[in-house]
Amino acid sequence: MDRTKICSLILLAVMLAGCGKAKKPILVGSKNFTEQVVLGEIIAQHLENRLHRKIERRLNLGGTLLSYQALQDGEVSLYPEYTGTIEAEILKETPSPDPEQVYERSRLELLRQAQIEVLKPLGIDNRFVMVVRSDEANRDHLTTLSEAARVKPGWKLGVGYEFEQRTDGLPALSMYHLPMSAPPRAMDLGLLYKALDQGQVTMIAANATDGPLASPGRTVLEDDKKAFGSYQACIMLREDMIGEEPRLVPALNQLSGKFTNAAMRKMDAEVDVDHRQPSEVATEFLKQVGLK
Amino acid sequence: MRPGLLSDIFELTGEHLVLVFSATAIAIAIGVPAGILLTRRAEWRAPVLGIANILQTIPSLALFGFLIPIPLIGGIGPRTAIVALVLYALLPILRNTLTGILSVDAAVRESAVAMGMTASQILRQVEMPLAARTIFAGIRVATVATIGTATIAAAIGGGGLGVFIFRGVASVDTVQILAGAVPAALMALISDGGLGWIERKFAA
Amino acid sequence: MLRFSNVCYRDVLKGLQFEVAEGRTLVLLGRSGAGKTTALKMVNALLMPTSGQVFVEGRATTDWNPIDLRRRIGYVIQETGLFPHFTVARNVGVVPRLNGWTPDRIGARVNELLERVGLAPSEYAHRYPRELSGGQRQRVGVARALAADPPILLFDEPFGALDPVTRHEVRREFTALARDLGKTTLFVTHDVREAMELADEIGLLHDGRLAELLPADEFPGARSEEARAFLACLRDD
Repeated sequence: MDRTKICSLILLAVMLAGCGKAKKPILVGSKNFTEQVVLGEIIAQHLENRLHRKIERRLNLGGTLLSYQALQDGEVSLYPEYTGTIEAEILKETPSPDPEQVYERSRLELLRQAQIEVLKPLGIDNRFVMVVRSDEANRDHLTTLSEAARVKPGWKLGVGYEFEQRTDGLPALSMYHLPMSAPPRAMDLGLLYKALDQGQVTMIAANATDGPLASPGRTVLEDDKKAFGSYQACIMLREDMIGEEPRLVPALNQLSGKFTNAAMRKMDAEVDVDHRQPSEVATEFLKQVGLK
Repeated sequence: MRPGLLSDIFELTGEHLVLVFSATAIAIAIGVPAGILLTRRAEWRAPVLGIANILQTIPSLALFGFLIPIPLIGGIGPRTAIVALVLYALLPILRNTLTGILSVDAAVRESAVAMGMTASQILRQVEMPLAARTIFAGIRVATVATIGTATIAAAIGGGGLGVFIFRGVASVDTVQILAGAVPAALMALISDGGLGWIERKFAA
Repeated sequence: MLRFSNVCYRDVLKGLQFEVAEGRTLVLLGRSGAGKTTALKMVNALLMPTSGQVFVEGRATTDWNPIDLRRRIGYVIQETGLFPHFTVARNVGVVPRLNGWTPDRIGARVNELLERVGLAPSEYAHRYPRELSGGQRQRVGVARALAADPPILLFDEPFGALDPVTRHEVRREFTALARDLGKTTLFVTHDVREAMELADEIGLLHDGRLAELLPADEFPGARSEEARAFLACLRDD
């Protein structure tokens, strides 16, 4: 063999060897609110523990569409999403209150349309909940939204812009025909609990795992007519990552079912109210559920 | 473009104008007299300007959260939003009133005093007319800034073009976001141009 | 009419003592920083003595209502301090208007004074200060000071910023004007020639004190060191 051929062969061998060594990095993403950042940290730390690899975090990306776009483009390998959000914002359908239904629909469609796996639910259902002050709930003996329709002469409703716009938000609430003493006021989510505490509004549309719900003084009224859709938290994963790292899915599935709404609420509160670091809270959680 | 969007735009633009106009008017009513007072009391200048400066840096959500519980001016709605907007608009007006009056030529001021003009005569006949252009420039800056800042009123249920922007961001609807941002930007450009034209009419 | 009685001001004036009789012109002569302007500003209560008293028309400046005092005094400064946003006519008419004169009376007086200082009213009355030359502005300043016919005039180096030719002309006209009007005048300058031309009496201020206080025609014979320094300038010019 002449010199040129030997050099080319050596070059080729080096390149092939290099390819074999380089694995695709695992990029854990999250949306831009507390619960998402905590979940992202938990996933990332768990994968580091199990796979003994450095996991890159791309947390706080933005809203739903930005995060989903990042997933499709490969900017992240996975992120935690809610089944109801998948149905409402990605598939543009109205999510049903039945968690199984929403999960199955999300999983099938996303696999078909986008080659994205929706892994088994983590155990959180972050659906819309209507919240009133506990002193008022106790005084009028309210536990369900149907009771709320009968008792009060008029509610002053405070909602976030998302609840106002979503078909499974304000329009779904109309199922209860709640009497209103003033038109619903839309405002930034961060101000809702303050407004409720001050009596500026008497009922707010919140989310089931909101940190402030861990504190006393607020009561969640039961959605007895099942107006609101199910929003189970699941990890969304690019299908091509499954082949890349065979240990990935088994590791992620270990997280399924390990969460409860109460536990998530507590973690959200620790970050929002106690100002603890999400990474700290995440490590503690993994220890508590025996995954550390 | 859905039907009714145009009429919504008109309605929210109207709400926006009310917010801007009210806030600017109140900021002028507080800021100009306060600026005049500061020209008389040098020792208050640093603290007052310092406070106005700090108010500007407070993020709007934090300010709202602080204002909600306060009786009379707090709560949800346009009134609280206007209070916040007034606080943000104060600095340019206050500062320009102060510098406008202080930059009156020292010889002119000395002559006025030496001729036996009272303090209020000097203020009305000499200082205010000579400072008018600078003060008006401060008002212009405050107005244009308030048009942009007023979009945050939607965060506290205060209405205005910010409603489109918040809704659009929440439901990822670009049309809604533009429905809020474009009229606001146009309003800012027109105000800047119009007020600037008036400003140039003041004798230099 | 004006009396300085052992007036001190911080470390600038140290026991100033002199009188200006009614209708007379006293020139305060001295180097820069001698305290001439400080002394001048005590007459119209822009400054108050730290000790001693300044008497105007028999009353101490501390006893006068400052507004009343200043309305009786015309004040002409080097920078003129004309209001840039007033016309010449309006500038001249400021004090009469403050005193509540009728518009007709003010208008007549303004025209009279503009003529007096050599500015034709038809040409200058409606102009703004920025449109005038330095010399013209200074004439307006003098007209303004005379407008309400005050018994006392104060001048703080009014011709200092003018070119030599204009300065010479204006000085000549001023001398005539001062004689005619019979005002009690306190005039500050560092120009010994100007002092000799304008003064009935010259007070030479040196280091916060009067080195000389002499009638103008006796000044060339003054024997203090400071006086001789000033007189030497006269010779060398």
